[in-house]
Amino acid sequence: MSKFKKNDGKKAPGINTSSLPDIVFMLLFFFMVATTTKEIDPMVKVRPATGIGMTDLTPFKQRSEVDFVYLGQPLKGDVDKFEKGIAVQYDGILHKDGIRHIGKWKQDKFATKPAEYTAPREETMTCFKADEQVPMGILFEAREILGDASFYTIGYAASEKPNNKGYNIRTQ
Amino acid sequence: MAKREAPEINAGSMADIAFLLLIFFLVTTTMDKDTAYARKIPKKVEVIDPEPVQKKNIYKISINNKQNIQARDSIIKPEDIEQLNSRIKHYYLINREKLEDRNVDYPYYSMVTKAFIDQRIAEAYNKQENYEKLLETDSKYEKFIEQMDNEIAEWNRKKRILDLYTKASGKKEMPEIAFQAHVRLESFIDTDYSAYVAVQSEVEKAVTEMRDEEAQELFGITYTSMRQYYQTNLLEKTPKVQEYKDKMDLIELLFPLRIIEVKPKR
Repeated sequence: MSKFKKNDGKKAPGINTSSLPDIVFMLLFFFMVATTTKEIDPMVKVRPATGIGMTDLTPFKQRSEVDFVYLGQPLKGDVDKFEKGIAVQYDGILHKDGIRHIGKWKQDKFATKPAEYTAPREETMTCFKADEQVPMGILFEAREILGDASFYTIGYAASEKPNNKGYNIRTQ
Repeated sequence: MAKREAPEINAGSMADIAFLLLIFFLVTTTMDKDTAYARKIPKKVEVIDPEPVQKKNIYKISINNKQNIQARDSIIKPEDIEQLNSRIKHYYLINREKLEDRNVDYPYYSMVTKAFIDQRIAEAYNKQENYEKLLETDSKYEKFIEQMDNEIAEWNRKKRILDLYTKASGKKEMPEIAFQAHVRLESFIDTDYSAYVAVQSEVEKAVTEMRDEEAQELFGITYTSMRQYYQTNLLEKTPKVQEYKDKMDLIELLFPLRIIEVKPKR
């Protein structure tokens, strides 16, 4: 004589999932807008330097006006094979000539891009994504080569510094 | 005849398809933004007998291989690097809008007026005329004539900027820092990238803050937001983009960011 009827035999009503695609599409669009495509898998270890007030490179990327060079210790293989233990990654390869290859690489990159998509030669940026412990000598060598080939715009990549933390400078 | 209804399409697998796409995008994209300090490599120009740069116009910052920083005569430890901010602002602002009683160790300002620019343009035209006369005797003067053309264009640009400044602030005189004034960044061959970037960051921050303040005062909008808009919409040639460009030109003239990066010797 319970007050609660046992509704035996009857199934629980199914949840209406017809709006599920809408929700998932919403998520999809959010991610499509909020993210950018990955360039390439890194072959060198890059712990980014930190700073404030950098230029956002997204518009440059959209106009394909920027080429990235990665500098750091190689993730795989022998560190000693590279000069000063720093490997330089151009697109998918670690070149054996290290930084001295940059002129030729940049020249090839510039030549293969269709002319209507790129900025004039001196405005196409070469962005150095260097590990925080990469010595500056290498970058200045690259600067000189690029300057001689009249690619005058460069970028020093860094990530946004958290407000409550200092710069991650190695002290000795 | 009875109308036959079109059979409904089963949309049950729509969610699966959407999930598939979603996961694909999650895997192939990254959230982190690429940000960098954009710099120019100076072009090689051959100048015969360059004018020596006065010491007061140089703000020298050097970073050694132990990441210690020397700004002019003071040594700054890496953890105190934020001091650079106020030091650089001091360097820019101490003599600003002062014509007398100036600090002799810091760059001087000049007050640019319309009359001054007009005079300079007239002078340039005169010089050009002279060169044109001399051209009959020697063809090397062609180069000088071209140089004068550039100079006139430069002064005209400055004139437009001054007009904008007068319109925004009501002042007829525009303070302009000595054209040689610059920040000179020296490093060692084995200075860490992070330390170098940190110094760049402090310099950039100091100048941007001064620019923001000035732009806010003149136009009611910060320099940073104008630049953001300009860079995203660079390719559309709308009046707003042009307007921001002009305003940015003015602010950049008032607070120029001139960093000279010196190739390390050791």
